[in-house]
Amino acid sequence: MAQPTPKYQQAGPKVKPAEKEEMVYTWPYLVSIEAIMAIAMTLALSLMSMFVNAPLLALANPEQTPNPAKAPWYFLGLQELLLHMHPALAGVIVPGAALLLLAMIPYVDRDRRGTGIWFSTRKGIPITIFSWVYTWIWELVLILIDEFWVTKDAAGQEIKGIERHLTFWLNDLFPGMVKIGVGWEWLGKILLPSGLMVAIPWILAEIVRRRWKANTREVMIALGTFYFASFVLLTIIGTAFRGHSMLLMWPWEVTPPE
Amino acid sequence: MGLWSKFKQTTLYKSIYRNEYPDTPRNQVLVILNSVVLHLHPVKVPRRAIRVSYTWGLGGLSLLMFLILTVTGVWLMFYYVPAVPDAYFSVQALETDVIFGMFSRNLHRWAAHGMVLAVWLHMARVFYTGAYKPPRDFNWAIGVVLFTVTVLLSFTGYLLPWDQLAYWAIQVGSNMAGSTPFIGKQVRFVLLGGYDIGLPTLVRWYTLHVLLLPLAAIVLMAVHFWRVRKDGGISTPIPYEDEEETAPAPEPQPLGGAAD
Repeated sequence: MAQPTPKYQQAGPKVKPAEKEEMVYTWPYLVSIEAIMAIAMTLALSLMSMFVNAPLLALANPEQTPNPAKAPWYFLGLQELLLHMHPALAGVIVPGAALLLLAMIPYVDRDRRGTGIWFSTRKGIPITIFSWVYTWIWELVLILIDEFWVTKDAAGQEIKGIERHLTFWLNDLFPGMVKIGVGWEWLGKILLPSGLMVAIPWILAEIVRRRWKANTREVMIALGTFYFASFVLLTIIGTAFRGHSMLLMWPWEVTPPE
Repeated sequence: MGLWSKFKQTTLYKSIYRNEYPDTPRNQVLVILNSVVLHLHPVKVPRRAIRVSYTWGLGGLSLLMFLILTVTGVWLMFYYVPAVPDAYFSVQALETDVIFGMFSRNLHRWAAHGMVLAVWLHMARVFYTGAYKPPRDFNWAIGVVLFTVTVLLSFTGYLLPWDQLAYWAIQVGSNMAGSTPFIGKQVRFVLLGGYDIGLPTLVRWYTLHVLLLPLAAIVLMAVHFWRVRKDGGISTPIPYEDEEETAPAPEPQPLGGAAD
């Protein structure tokens, strides 16, 4: 007897056929929701446009650099990274890697179970909360150290931040290297931040695996939360807490661009 | 007979709508099949997939804001002059001399920020509901590209008013792109159309903003929406078996110790 052509199967364990879904007509059940949301959103945007004007500053002047010069808000997270690491890392490699890794998520997490359920499993919410707090604590501590760790060298020159300290110590420890022209900046600017950006999520995944016996989806939730929480925190700090000379300050001390 | 009912009997109404008003199951099916806009939908949808608390309508709102941006964008193009420094003065004139000029510019600006936000939140929603899982894996990847295109659309528009805010934001942004390893200088040169931000930059970004990137977005959106349908529509729950069996029935929680 001829076998029926096997249906194109996705990888992963067999999925129990879903119970019969309760179906409703698109008209009016979905169309009405869409219409209401569209009207509400259009109304909200129109109201905002009546009362809040889009900014238009003075004519562009290449001679007059504003302080601080900031990118649009969705890039301020990257601009924040720029303060802590090599520009190639902050401006190109990190965002590139972030997008690539995001796109790869479903090619790692191939199990269809957990689809269509907020946080997928009962462990999902605790893992999300833990990952969010874990990420924010790590990043806040690192940013604060980089900003406020200031010491002076023998000549009275200020040394500020993790990278400069590292460079200073290494140059001090291995003066011979500087003589033959090897600086240690790359260690502080490239190696250390890259290492941290791999280690922090790596440790997070390990904690989640051990403490919650997390499956692939739950590890993905932890790592995805690392990305979302980082984006939110860095964007908030870059937008509201970086003022003159990109120094850390309270939002009410940050002057709006003129 | 009301005026509306009378209108529905006219030849004009019947020539526009291919079926009667959808108040019977048959016409509820036909209206979806017969309308160019509505036919993006299936005729029926799972009840639990369309709860607002499940999707928050974020994908639809992203599309809505894209449409608002297209309409207001065309309107702005009537008045905008992509030249240095005329660009700045044309935006100024738009704000002061054109009826609804300020309003349409505001709407364009706020919808642009709103779209970046909505697309990002849509991505977060899809992630946390596990809706990226196979067979929706490729559509998730397209979504990531669409997010990138949205950000690029917003960023290219940022330069166009040619004010201090625009100029220096683009200075920061293009310097970041200029730090690409090995080919940084070339990348920056291509982006700016030279060694500095000037007229060539404005023309390039204007072209990208009003032509290339919107076209890319439209094509990608077409594939994105088509794949939503082909991959089984809005995702519905596929629970883990053990979750189903071992999950305790939700018990009513006592409120502040008042119960007992």
